Amino acid sequence: MKYGLAPSARADRAQEMAIHAPSTHPRLLRGWAIRSASVFALSFLLFGHCIAAEHAITLTAEETAYDDGLGNKLLAYKMVEHKVDGVDITSRYSSEATIPGPTIFLTEGDIAHLTIENNIPGAHDNPPHVGISSQVSIHVHGVHYQIDSDGTLKVINRVADEGAGVGPDDGDVLVYPYTWNVAPGTAGTWAYHDHNYMTHNGAEQKGLFGAIIVSPAGAPQYDKEYLLYVTDDAFWGMEIDGVSKAQTKHGVNPALSAARGDNVRFHLISLGTDIHEFTLDGYRWADPGTTNLINRTAIGPLEKHVFEVTANHSAKYRDKNFTNNLMGMRGEFNVE
Amino acid sequence: MLNKPADIHKDYRKRTMNMKADHSKKPATAMLGLLLLAATLLASPALLAAVHNIALTAETLPNGQLAYRHSNGAKAVIPGPTLFAAEGDTVNVTLTNNTAVPVGFKIPGQPQPSSAKAQPGQSKNYKFTAKKAGTYVYHGNNGKEQLGLFGAVVVNKANGPVDRYVDDNGALIAVNQNDLDKQYVLFMVGSTFWGTEITSDGNQIPLWANPTPAAVLDEIVRFHVLSIGPAHTFHLHAHRWLKEGTDEIIDTKLLVDGADTHAFTIKAGSGVGAGDWQFHCHLISHMEAGMHGSFKVVAAGGDGSAIVGASPYGRILLGTEDVPGLVTFEVSDEPGSWFRSARGDAIVNLGLDIKTRSLEVIGPGSSVNFVMSDTNGVHTITSLLWPTGAHHMPFDQEKAYKGGAILKLDTPGLYVFTCKIHPYMFGAVIVDSDQTIGLTGVPTGLDLADASQNRTIDLVTGLTNLPTSSDLAIRLLRTFFVATAKDNWQRYGEHWTVTFPALPVNITGVDGLVLSALNIDGGVLVPRVPPSQPGVGEVWINTQFEKTAGKTKPGTITVIDTANWTVKRKIALPQINMNNPHNMWTDKSQETIFQTQWFDNKLTMINRADGAWIRDIKVGDSPSHVMTIPDTDVITVAINGENGIAYIQDVNSTEVNRITPTQPAGHVQANPHGHWITPDGKMVTPNINTSDTGFYDGDTGQILARTQAGGNFPKGPHPIAIGVGKDKIYAANLLDHSISVYDFNGNPVPVAANGGKPFINLIAPYNPITGAGALDSGILPIQTPVDPTGRVMVTANTGGTITVIDTVTDTVVAVLPCDPGCHGVNFGAKAGGGYYAYVTSKFSNRLIVLDVDLDNPANTQIAGDILLADSSSLVAGDTIDDTVADMAGMGGQGILAVPNVYNGWVQNIAAGSAETQGWVNVLTAGQKAAVHPQP
Repeated sequence: MKYGLAPSARADRAQEMAIHAPSTHPRLLRGWAIRSASVFALSFLLFGHCIAAEHAITLTAEETAYDDGLGNKLLAYKMVEHKVDGVDITSRYSSEATIPGPTIFLTEGDIAHLTIENNIPGAHDNPPHVGISSQVSIHVHGVHYQIDSDGTLKVINRVADEGAGVGPDDGDVLVYPYTWNVAPGTAGTWAYHDHNYMTHNGAEQKGLFGAIIVSPAGAPQYDKEYLLYVTDDAFWGMEIDGVSKAQTKHGVNPALSAARGDNVRFHLISLGTDIHEFTLDGYRWADPGTTNLINRTAIGPLEKHVFEVTANHSAKYRDKNFTNNLMGMRGEFNVE
Repeated sequence: MLNKPADIHKDYRKRTMNMKADHSKKPATAMLGLLLLAATLLASPALLAAVHNIALTAETLPNGQLAYRHSNGAKAVIPGPTLFAAEGDTVNVTLTNNTAVPVGFKIPGQPQPSSAKAQPGQSKNYKFTAKKAGTYVYHGNNGKEQLGLFGAVVVNKANGPVDRYVDDNGALIAVNQNDLDKQYVLFMVGSTFWGTEITSDGNQIPLWANPTPAAVLDEIVRFHVLSIGPAHTFHLHAHRWLKEGTDEIIDTKLLVDGADTHAFTIKAGSGVGAGDWQFHCHLISHMEAGMHGSFKVVAAGGDGSAIVGASPYGRILLGTEDVPGLVTFEVSDEPGSWFRSARGDAIVNLGLDIKTRSLEVIGPGSSVNFVMSDTNGVHTITSLLWPTGAHHMPFDQEKAYKGGAILKLDTPGLYVFTCKIHPYMFGAVIVDSDQTIGLTGVPTGLDLADASQNRTIDLVTGLTNLPTSSDLAIRLLRTFFVATAKDNWQRYGEHWTVTFPALPVNITGVDGLVLSALNIDGGVLVPRVPPSQPGVGEVWINTQFEKTAGKTKPGTITVIDTANWTVKRKIALPQINMNNPHNMWTDKSQETIFQTQWFDNKLTMINRADGAWIRDIKVGDSPSHVMTIPDTDVITVAINGENGIAYIQDVNSTEVNRITPTQPAGHVQANPHGHWITPDGKMVTPNINTSDTGFYDGDTGQILARTQAGGNFPKGPHPIAIGVGKDKIYAANLLDHSISVYDFNGNPVPVAANGGKPFINLIAPYNPITGAGALDSGILPIQTPVDPTGRVMVTANTGGTITVIDTVTDTVVAVLPCDPGCHGVNFGAKAGGGYYAYVTSKFSNRLIVLDVDLDNPANTQIAGDILLADSSSLVAGDTIDDTVADMAGMGGQGILAVPNVYNGWVQNIAAGSAETQGWVNVLTAGQKAAVHPQP
């Protein structure tokens, strides 16, 4: 049997602890060779039920007020409800649909049960044009999920139209459930985005994107966290307070704030068609997964780049991509 | 602790098997293997260093793509044979070139002794040392790499693990070569994946284009993802792996422009189970262009065999194998051959009177592939028409890009593709329901549409069920065969014919119509005489297709002296390889010409007096039109391939100051083409991609209004050029055959003659079935300026007419004949008062001059014409900077009359020389004020 239920997931975590990376030594051959009954038993002693949390999350998708002057609107996700082990934490999110969508914090070992609803006008009207989808889905990166939680159309996953709204194969779906196994080894910042609206590619570029931030158990806290989606013509971002966890300053090229000396973390995810070059004036940080200090990074669609700095001076964050730089794709990082 | 001995032996043997031409290392017996093994255990890895001798040939595939073949391989394959070596090994490659073009062998970033190319029929030797473990690109080093001359070199460590994977419990597990159940090579090229499977015993199985790699749950699979050409990001659903050289766990990886690689190892379905897990490039335009596939993970006991994709040997015209086939178009800056079949020359040489290199024939279920390998611009691959009922239609991308496209076509019929940015780029594919394999003679009848749908076609504008026998369908077919075959273009002074292929086609109601029946014999094209009355100053013409010997890219500027109507100068700018010069403007002094390079990303400044190059400024992708702000002389450039207007401070600037967006953040980009600036300083843009006309503050760029364009058809009007009248603003809608009318605030203005709809219908007289009224219509309107006094609008219609519109009534008052691809119009001063309208055509070599009647617009007439082709009187190095080589005088597009007498600019002229002052001096008071006494 693979994972699937909490006990074996915990066993896997124990195993990870036992043989933690870097594990380049040739003695570490195949995973199954290591997995032993004794490690499994040990895990029950070290990690109790209290570590893994269960998330119940309901998201919806809506049109935003953003209009291009021709009546075309962007789309956005909104948090309807988020409970962690029964405790409601919905208040940390905006009560509006936002771009980016809600940032969901998870810890390795957690299980998340999500439900997507679709409140885009016409989503449940019959029938769509042939081959056109009115569904909205959540396709997540990074964490474990079975094929029925892929958040794609049946034409891709061969199982079902995995979203809410009228799909090309499965007709109208009022709500669609997903289960994410936030397994050990999935720590990191990952995108979630639509994969179903209009076509099998979805409409992620219309605003249907957000992030999950998966931390290892016991990971350090930050004074501020910033999510910046690096898109083809703007940063779409938000600021997250380290104490209250409140998510604010959503939108285009947000002015981010920190107190001098704050330990802050930037989460970059790119989305669109362009390749970008991100800079934060006067700051250097460790290239993820290495100890190399860098002051700029190339980032392409759906790559992620997470780094932490100590806030010690105000600066601008920028995209140095030729056109975006000339178009003023930059924002303030205000340190006081 | 080293691997157990048997593993090393297996590993060694596997590498040996991959190097089938390896003579120096092949073990004679198993005993020798054991001896080597013993040495391995005792000595340093250097003793293992081997010499691999590999023989490759370069071949042309049935679809015209180029590929490498291993001497032991059955056939040439894309990607080329994967070459394996261990750190420290030496690899000698002997390449024999069986293609018609020079081919090399290069590993970017790696030192190698020779970069020479093997000429056709010749061989060359290459040698490299595998210094550092990793996956490397090798390629043909000849500019044709993206057509298939690419492969992977995999260098593994001499011993020890080759990689680590992330287990379902998060552990990082080291893997040795012998742990790998299989490996996949996936090359990302254009917007297509090209795959090879490497089995655990070292066999290489070609998987061709957009395959379905597969594995059984928990198999250990190593992916080698490589790219050549424009950048990509690779994403595989529900799996995660290590970013090479780091401890960072990722599921998406950038492969940068040029050549790049990323190798990683996964346990198939680890933590997520079996499923059809999509992999794709995560660039949205590439996703829309078809750059995706599935990694099929099956449960234990299932069939983990990969599914082969579309093969260049498969079911296509002249294909050799009964498997799904693939044809490939190179997207090119080359006039006529913008979508050039990789075997275009071979098709032209079939002896079937096929003059175009942009037509392909495939069987149902085969695929068409595009790769933007011969262009400096950005493009879209957009279906213009397709058989009614066809799957996967319409095909389009929201945003112009670099890359390519791939799509499978199932429904019989004709599919025509274009680029939304450059809407005369055409490529056509006929999906024929008959067996096309091995077709060498004349088929019985190619399907232009699906028999079950009465052989009708649908158009991108929303027109559906159009019979293929209709005038409009035939007209579109003719447009295709003229635009894409330079032999069919009009050369004044020569005999003109339009030759269609001697191919029978099945259209609505007719089986086996031989297209040659549509041939046109136009007789000798006699130029008329130049206008009897001179103009003022010069007329600069973008002869955008004219080819010269000193550069690879097309296009010249042809300067006409209006005093005697002769060609005064030609400017090719070989020193910058000027690429498709499209549109011009001048500064207040009239001494510097601003020139866009539409298939590139630059604005070029040229000294008017002597044609000398001043400088290039990078402005953004596919800049189309340039215009100054009349009072400030700030230069504005429409970035047609992107989403804004570039502002350059002045004539002395060396860089763009800023780019103002044409749409709010996050919204579909507008891709403005032929903007205009009103006398009161508003910027007005025809937004081709969003079907609207945008009104912006000319100084700040603030969006004032965006108003829908078109109305003749349900969608896709393609507004392309702006005209500014006294109190109204006009936008020509290319695919809607209409001109939208607005007030200066961007509000639609009802047109009484069109029942109050806010547009002028240029095809009101036209019957698309019978063709009646075509000569009185404006089919496919492009440039549409209003004369400087604001009275008369002249529109060039690429369907071959010039329409004259009286802006008092907003009605067409005259229709004049033009040439195929009629395109550009601009006004210039006529000596003694009034204006000439100068009109260019893409597919002819002359300039038409209209004498514009401001009192009675209906009386506007052709005053004469001028041959743009003749450069015989020009002096090399003085009045011409290169040698005309082909398509002389062709491709007429942008026009600029100097002095610039448009309203707003003429009042601001500050002549910079005696010559220009002389021209200004002869302007009449009315011309200087851009007013005309009303009758």
